[in-house]
Amino acid sequence: MKYLLFGLILGLTLLSTSCHEIPPVINPFMGDPPDTTIDLENQMRQVLIEEFTGVRCVQCPAGSAEIASLLAIHGERLVAVSIHAGDFSYPFPQSHYNFQTSEGEELINFLGPPISYPSAVIDRTLFDGEADLILGRNDWAGYIAQEKAIDPVIKIAVVPNFNETTRKLDVEVKLYPQEDILDPDVRISLMLTESNIVDYQDTPDGKVDNYVHKHVLRDMLTSYLGEGISETLISGIIITKNFSYTVPEVWNAGETASNVEEMHVVVFVHLGTTTKEVLQAIEVPVIK
Amino acid sequence: MKFLQICFACWMVLWMAAPLHAQESSGGRLSGNLEANGNFFLRDTLIGAANTPQYDRQIFGSDAWLNLNYSNWGFDFNLRFDAFNNSNLLNPQGSYTALGFGRWSIHKEVEHFDFAAGYLYDQIGSGIIFRSYEQRALLIDNALVGLRVGYNFGPDLKVKAFTGVQKQQFDLYKSIIAGASVDYFLVGKEGSKFTWAPGFGVVRRTLDDATMNNLVATINTYLKEDAFVPTYTAYAMSMYQTLTWGPFTWYAEGAYKTKDNMSDPLAERVTISGDTIVGKLIQAPGSVLYTSFSFAKKGLGLTLEGKRTENFSFRTRPQEELNRGLINFLPPTTRVNTYRLTARYLPATQEFGELAFQVDARYKISKMASVNVNFSNITDLNGNQLYRELFTELLLKKTRKWQFTGGLQLQAYNQEAYFFKPGEPILENVTPYVDFLYRFPKRRSVRVEAQYMKTGEDGKGLGYDYGDWLFGLLEISPAPKWTITLSDMYNIGPGKNSPSDASSGEKLTVHFPRFDVFYTHGANRFSLSYVKQVEGVVCTGGVCRIEPAFSGVKFSVNSSF
Repeated sequence: MKYLLFGLILGLTLLSTSCHEIPPVINPFMGDPPDTTIDLENQMRQVLIEEFTGVRCVQCPAGSAEIASLLAIHGERLVAVSIHAGDFSYPFPQSHYNFQTSEGEELINFLGPPISYPSAVIDRTLFDGEADLILGRNDWAGYIAQEKAIDPVIKIAVVPNFNETTRKLDVEVKLYPQEDILDPDVRISLMLTESNIVDYQDTPDGKVDNYVHKHVLRDMLTSYLGEGISETLISGIIITKNFSYTVPEVWNAGETASNVEEMHVVVFVHLGTTTKEVLQAIEVPVIK
Repeated sequence: MKFLQICFACWMVLWMAAPLHAQESSGGRLSGNLEANGNFFLRDTLIGAANTPQYDRQIFGSDAWLNLNYSNWGFDFNLRFDAFNNSNLLNPQGSYTALGFGRWSIHKEVEHFDFAAGYLYDQIGSGIIFRSYEQRALLIDNALVGLRVGYNFGPDLKVKAFTGVQKQQFDLYKSIIAGASVDYFLVGKEGSKFTWAPGFGVVRRTLDDATMNNLVATINTYLKEDAFVPTYTAYAMSMYQTLTWGPFTWYAEGAYKTKDNMSDPLAERVTISGDTIVGKLIQAPGSVLYTSFSFAKKGLGLTLEGKRTENFSFRTRPQEELNRGLINFLPPTTRVNTYRLTARYLPATQEFGELAFQVDARYKISKMASVNVNFSNITDLNGNQLYRELFTELLLKKTRKWQFTGGLQLQAYNQEAYFFKPGEPILENVTPYVDFLYRFPKRRSVRVEAQYMKTGEDGKGLGYDYGDWLFGLLEISPAPKWTITLSDMYNIGPGKNSPSDASSGEKLTVHFPRFDVFYTHGANRFSLSYVKQVEGVVCTGGVCRIEPAFSGVKFSVNSSF
């Protein structure tokens, strides 16, 4: 019994003497203006967050609200895409739109089906200590901050040109490698997103009909795996790529017209299929 | 990985040396077991068995564990090879492929000392402050990868200390876990039926820098009123004791955790954009009080159990969710149900707030008859109902001839808490069940089961969740080594979540049949099953997850040697 008491006293003594630590410094949000990238020359690392969501996912509006919050902090340095895919993405019978896309379904499998929702992939990077590319909401802010701290190895300039008569969208992309990129499989992906679409969504308060959907992936101008960049990426050599796409009047039969004014082109350069890491991302409106 | 290869090489050398050594002494003892499961996925969109890589293109997935134990020269060696090929075990919606050595360990006792290194499974008390364990059904493998040292001061006093990191599939988490415990055992005077086993344990977890940086970055996106200064280290300590006196056994444990960073999935937060969202990081101390009292004498068995939990999520990283990164284990305080329908709604233990109690009474009326009544009730700390169950059972039997089991289960189940479906009402159901087993000579038998679950209805006249169920099972053992089972779970009264007809939207009455063949030969068991299974909750000891529907063929092998 005396040993037990001895153990207790020893344990409590160790605890009381080792509880002091120098805490980290925190700076909670105090209304600071968001980060912006001023021009190409000063373009910094911009981070891509691909959120997997669905209109039947009760918890997903919390993820979208989290992204809205992160965009308010990181501004243009965070590029968000909401991919409606998986079991929760089937539209309700009353839904006005179907946000599902074949690319979205491919991407949810390619990047790894989520174990829970909300979930997202940050820069398609497998972070140290993580088992999956897909991350729970608690990890987003931390990894975005981590990615932002990296210098960009490539900068991207995008010039869209939309013809309202033909609805043809031409996109000129210029890539500015900041250092030699020797990876043999570098790709470029272009996504078309649409924001401010009012439609049904399941929420913790039940199904609502006036939920505002943002950054919805509507289509891709490349394959879901991206398009290979055959040119050698050498510092100082500018590479120009051109893409064309006809924006449909409606995304699916029976739906109301798509709104080009709320559309953005998302462009990102990433590695191929072995590591999927995104090197730089940028978002520009279809109509300025 | 290199270290692992070296260990494996050492193991192989030792193993190969064993027969040589056998000429000089015993040669040691080799034992082991193999568990292998293969699943063929047959797409069935009606029940939701679709849209995963396995149903879409992979068609087949498997998982297997080969465990080897070798003892010689006073050492115990363990090596386990794990293989997952397109497996849906880690993420029921995903596909996981990885293989390699999932575990190795070396253990040695030197007089009073006890050393172990490698991937260790252990616990303190009932596991409330520390439990490293494996649950293959949910692919939980929280082995502590590190070192453990124990010392026996005598037959009645043992201390142990350990340190390491937690296993994460074939990788490791980086937070450091360390702990110690003292266990004492007191026996009453000769002839006395009194024993007392008190103990004390403490565990500390120190976050790694990457985890802390991530945590700080997340907190920096919070408004000032939700922000807090995270701590690197949290301590959890517990005092526990088991007292037995004749027919009475009393276990009690009290645990306290210092201020810790946790992810509370139900806490509300206002974002900087002004949205209110559920789920945030919080910081708070935690506590658990747990006790069980049992009495057993002359055909009467009585167990009383109670537990109070507050803010006791203890994980290797606070960002981890669901069943990942668990350092501890909170014991469940409900009955472990085994029948298909009585086990449909299982309550997961709640880390952030739970007040639970359970009473279980068994009485043997005669040689032929016995009864069992169990009642459990769980609320949150604000008194909101989470779970309530009344379970009755009558057992009638004639030894070596037949056995009848029948009874009734009544449940109230908080879907909001256990299914993460905000706004869903409490599901109430009543389930009568019967089970009859008849034995023939030469170890042959026939068994039938029947269960019916009647659930309540919401305001729109729709049954809660999947509504009402009927279940029937026929099990035949035509020969000692063979068992054939045929069952069907029929959604006789479809509910809110039951499948609908694509064109009319009408709810459908769907069958979920299952056919199994089991063959047992010595310590080897093989099974082949055709399964259609509705989505539901799968739990092992209060640790649960929601499993999607399954449709396909399963094959499994279990072998011990």
